[in-house]
Amino acid sequence: MTADAVHSSPLDREAVRNLVTEQLAEILEKSPADIGEDVPFTDLGADSLALIELVEALEERLNAYVAGFHIDDEDLEGLTSVRDAVDYVSAKLQAA
Amino acid sequence: MTLPIALDAMGGDLAPGEVVAGARRAVDELGLAVTLVGVPELIGDPLGLEVYPCSEVIAMDDDPAASVRKKKDSSLVRAAELVRDAKASAMVSAGNTGATMAAALLRMGRLPGVVRPCIATPIPNPGRSPMVMVDAGANAECTPEMLVQFALMASAFVAAHYRVDRPTIGLLSIGEESSKGTPLVKETHQLLAASGLNFSGNVEGRDLIPSPVDVVVTDGFTGNVALKTLEGALRFVFSTVLGVIDTNDETRAAGRVLMDHLVPVASRLTPESQGGALLLGLEGICVISHGSSNATAIMNALRVAAELVEDGVVAKMRVAIRPEAG
Repeated sequence: MTADAVHSSPLDREAVRNLVTEQLAEILEKSPADIGEDVPFTDLGADSLALIELVEALEERLNAYVAGFHIDDEDLEGLTSVRDAVDYVSAKLQAA
Repeated sequence: MTLPIALDAMGGDLAPGEVVAGARRAVDELGLAVTLVGVPELIGDPLGLEVYPCSEVIAMDDDPAASVRKKKDSSLVRAAELVRDAKASAMVSAGNTGATMAAALLRMGRLPGVVRPCIATPIPNPGRSPMVMVDAGANAECTPEMLVQFALMASAFVAAHYRVDRPTIGLLSIGEESSKGTPLVKETHQLLAASGLNFSGNVEGRDLIPSPVDVVVTDGFTGNVALKTLEGALRFVFSTVLGVIDTNDETRAAGRVLMDHLVPVASRLTPESQGGALLLGLEGICVISHGSSNATAIMNALRVAAELVEDGVVAKMRVAIRPEAG
């Protein structure tokens, strides 16, 4: 964590996974249990707009841990499943 | 205090000139409060209306979701934020439809329980209230459950706005029999029949105008194709009739007699008179006006937005989706 950090405890991978799963479940009106980590977003019924919703929700929630947390639009194409998103977010949090 | 309607002054093929002119007419002729949202240098003379300034414009061909993320100071995004922040009662835009939906969805948010918002387009229905078609283009791919929710939201909208008790619902298909249609249509038919909604069964493309039902439900791809087909066919009929009238002196003389009767009918059937489509399922009111909206169309869109606020459509839809919330 850098001086930018605004939350005392960083999130580990498990916490990030729970966060991503919960947010996506809320957007898709599904149970978190129905959100498989390796299931492609498209197979879960998440279209491009739903993914933007997810990105904006994650940015808002993760701002509590890293001020100004931002997911680059250029990186979105590479995020095709919960696992991708969790790996990406975890790496960004660690680098912050 | 009446909140103004936030009008995207930069949206539409004829913006900002016709948009600003339409806003001025809505203020003068309908007594509405309107805030223009746009780039002041591009708006030019705001005709005495209040301007909420921004610095960016989302173009008609910009990618919907990406543009809303990239152009945070655009007129569309700022208009949606004014509604979110309770500084405007509703928003109206004739701009990029996909971006309007994305801005409204991302800034206002969905009503609890709504899987995807949809576009509801009123279609004139001679002798009765307009038929409302959902989804007219927001969701190209749908599940049967989504279509049932679209029907539920449209039913609540028609009841609240047109005062229709238990609106009748038709499912767009290629035949009246429940066995006809795609797997999506057949499964949706079964779900609608068991939904408790006033489901009348399948309707066909020829039942869109005039329509025997109050709501026609379909996926966004089919709905948009049907809508544009209808629009094109009506335009063709109008231009053909005008062409026939202009054939010779005799037909022109007949035309002079008929015009007083034809023009009111034609004007009721044009998109300009309808005021635009409504996004259903959001925590706020968003009216999407036709991309080629002129001042009259913008004024009508503002009128519809004001009526929807007055009708309490959002609160009624919230209860329709989650009855326990009422």
